[in-house]
Order: sequence, then structure tokens, then C-alpha cells
Amino acid sequence: MKRLTVDELNLDAQPGAFAGTLMNSSADLVTRVCQGDAEAFRLIFDRYSRPVISFIYDMVNDRALAEELTQETFVRAFRGMHTMRSETKLSTWLFGIARNVARESLRARARAHRHVDLADRSVMDLSDNKPVPVDGLLSKELNELIRRSLAALDEDKRLVFTLKVLHQCSYEEIATITGFSLAKLKTDLHRARAEMRKRISPYAGVGYEV
Amino acid sequence: MKCEVCLELLDEYFDGEVAAETREQIDAHVMTCSECSASFATLTAEQEMFARYDRELEVPPFLWTRVAAHTVSESIAATPDWRSRLAALFARPLAAVVAVLLFAIAMGLVYVVSRRQPATPKMAQAPQQRPIDPPKNVDKQPAPTSENEVQKREVLATAPKLRPRLRPTTTSLDQSDVLSSDVGYLDMDDRDTAKHIEQTQNLLRSIKNVTISDSDDEIDVTYDKELSRRLLNENVVLRRDAEMKAKFPTKTLLADLEPLLIDIANLPDHARAEDVRVIKERVQKTEIVAALVDYQDRGTIIVKE
Repeated sequence: MKRLTVDELNLDAQPGAFAGTLMNSSADLVTRVCQGDAEAFRLIFDRYSRPVISFIYDMVNDRALAEELTQETFVRAFRGMHTMRSETKLSTWLFGIARNVARESLRARARAHRHVDLADRSVMDLSDNKPVPVDGLLSKELNELIRRSLAALDEDKRLVFTLKVLHQCSYEEIATITGFSLAKLKTDLHRARAEMRKRISPYAGVGYEV
Repeated sequence: MKCEVCLELLDEYFDGEVAAETREQIDAHVMTCSECSASFATLTAEQEMFARYDRELEVPPFLWTRVAAHTVSESIAATPDWRSRLAALFARPLAAVVAVLLFAIAMGLVYVVSRRQPATPKMAQAPQQRPIDPPKNVDKQPAPTSENEVQKREVLATAPKLRPRLRPTTTSLDQSDVLSSDVGYLDMDDRDTAKHIEQTQNLLRSIKNVTISDSDDEIDVTYDKELSRRLLNENVVLRRDAEMKAKFPTKTLLADLEPLLIDIANLPDHARAEDVRVIKERVQKTEIVAALVDYQDRGTIIVKE
């Protein structure tokens, strides 16, 4: 017997079932949340939870902790949404909260484990020490290489690199999220790129003399 | 443009963060300089590589439940009533002192004003003070026509008088000790959910009560199947709605209904007796009908009150 799945069933006939879900602007959703609309907050969560958890994971390099901190980010966002200025982009504002939450966690972890070397040198033992073209790396290996190389960056560089290269934020957005001056973020970004290149190029075959 | 200047600005150029005039100058330089062109190609290759970075990270479904428990559900449950506001006011000593002083001043003013006012005739106040007293003026009653009627009136006059109710008493629902998720039961005034539960209950009852004899090979379930499809559509929408509004009891009940509705909706018009029997046994075993009745009763009580 052929089984229908729920998604195969037609929901169009349901009045207002998902009407406008995709058309809600972030500003509308924020207004609705401030008016006590729980559904609007759910839509914000659905829209932004993935980038937020990815960003936090990039910063803390721990899956379970990233989940916990994502939860904390959205709880803080909900409680402080009425303080959000209208000209601020919701994504930038959420990333700002996520950054603070991640930083507090990193500080606490640093206090608990002083001298923990995030720059795990075992990354260098990934392959047989021969440069391999980027296409030659299995995606799993490449992911692991990037993850470990990111973790080896210091916090500020990891922050700007993650926001720019992995999340495609503009310099202005990065400055808003981090509170860094434009000059600092450009310097950190340049150095972060150079460090990442230094770590990855021997394996990924990106021929760039540093 | 010199190579040193170009390389210094290359990151910003690559990121699209240079002014239009500078961009044109770098465009022209990169076209002619192999070294700068190679650096630009490296940046491009790196960006492509980082774009392939897969963290193999999913947002776990329980995360929203946890977030909702600390946000939307909490805010619904934490809406203070007048008693808790008053308690909160008196929890702060300074505020309590101010409140008592204000109250004393107000009472003093009322006393002073009332003493200055001339006494109002009591007759004018009488109807307001005793609106529900039984009429005492028995003189206007028609004279008794027989001895039986006289006795009847005497019995009535000596019987204890029942105080008429001006309005029905209402049971206040103290929600202070109720878990936030239980607020979901108030959703029973949502007629759509109530109607849906009732219709689903009827469908499942009909499945539960269907008689299947050993001689039956096939059973015509065309009507049940069509109804189940419609209810399944409704169920999905209502369940998601309940989940979004953090009405977890409603959501859980609707989620329990879904597998049964899917199975009924998937039956052919003339279903094998064995398939129907399996669904019937599941309905009986899971006691889902009882759960629906229970849920409906709770909702009805609250709506009536």
C-alpha cells in the first residue's frame, strides 16, 4: 500500500495555514514579538537559528555547547527585543548577542582550563605530509582541516574571519557586531586570512606564498 | 598603481569594500600584473573552498522547545494578576509605606468631605441598600379565596427564605500554580481545535466500533478515508499552530492523532479486513478516544465557566 507522507498532502486548502510566512519582513516580526505574538518569535527562530548556531559553533568549536549558547542567544534576544533599534538589521543584532554569549563562554572556559591549546597540531598530521590539490581532499577531511584551523586562530581573528568569510557580513556589519574599529577589523581579517592560508595551503594546494 | 598598493588593498577589493574609483584602478592593474592577478586568484580559490565548509550541524528539534520554555511560554505564564501586582508592591518596604500613606490620606479626605455634606434623606438610599429583599408589603396581595390558600400562605411565610442569586457564582481559576504549558487548555475556546477534536473523535469511534466478521474480505471505508484526509490536513495545521503558541498539551494530543489519521487516509476505498482490524485494535489499545474525551471535557469546563 502506497503511503502518503504528511508533506505530500495538500495544505493549500487550509485558510491562512502558512500564509505570509515567507513574506514577513524581519522588522514586522520584531514588531509582532514586541506585541506579544509568540508565533512571530517562532518564525524568527526558524529563520535565524541555523546561521546563529553555525556562527557560535565556529567560535566555540563544540557542538553541544553551540546548542546551549544558541538557546541562550534566543532567550536574551526575546527578552531584549523591545530595546532593538529600528535601524538595526535583525541578523546583525542577533549575531551581536551570539557574539557576546560565545565570548562569555570562551572566557569562562579559558578561566577553567588555562593554557588549553586550541591550535591542535594534529591537524598537520592529516595526510601524508604531501600537498594535495583541494579537489583531492575528501570533503570530510577538508571540513576537519578548516574546523581545526579556525580553532587555532585567536578569538578576535576567528571572529572577524568567521563573520566575513563564512557568513559574508559586510565590514560595517562586522564593526556593529564586534564593536571593533574599521582599522582593527581590516588588520585582523588580513592576518586571519594569512594564518588560515598558512595552515591549509600545504594540504589544499592553494599556492600562495606567505 | 604599484603592486605594493594593490596588494595592500586586495583584501578590501576582493570583499567589495573599496570605493568605485579605487576599484577601477585595481581592476586595471590586476588585468596587467601577473603577480597581483595570482594573489586575487588565490583569494577566489580560498573563498570557494571555505564556501564548501560543511559543519555537519543541524538545529536539533528540541532546541525550539527549550527556547520556547524560557521565552514565549514563560511570558504567557508570567503575566501578573492584580493580586501578584499588589503583593509585589508590598514586597518593597518604601513602596508599601507610600501606599499606606496615600491610602490614609484618601480615607481622611473622604471622611472630611462626608461630614461637610448635608444628610441625605434615607428614603432615597433605601432601594439601593436592599435591592434583593423580598417584598414586605403583603397588603396588596389579593385576599385569600379559600382556607387552603390561607394555610398555604402561612406555610410559605414560616418557611426559611432563600436568598435569590443576583448572578451565578463563578469559580475563579487560579492559574498561579499551573505549569506554563497547561495554558494550552484555554485553547479550547479556539473553536477550530474543539471542532476538530470532536470530528476526529467521531471518526475514531466509528473505526473502533466497526464490526468485522471472519467472512469479510474487504470493507468499504471510502467515507472514513476521505474524512481522515481532511482531518489530517487540519491536524497538521493545528498541531503546528499549537506548537508555535507553546500549547504543548494540545500539540501532544494532535501529534498522537497523526499516525492513526495517516493510516486511515492511506487505506484503499475497499480496504482489506485485516488492515482495518489492525487500525481498530490500535485505536482500542492506545485509548486515544478516551484521551480525546478527557481533553474535550477539560476544555468544556473552562469554556462554560
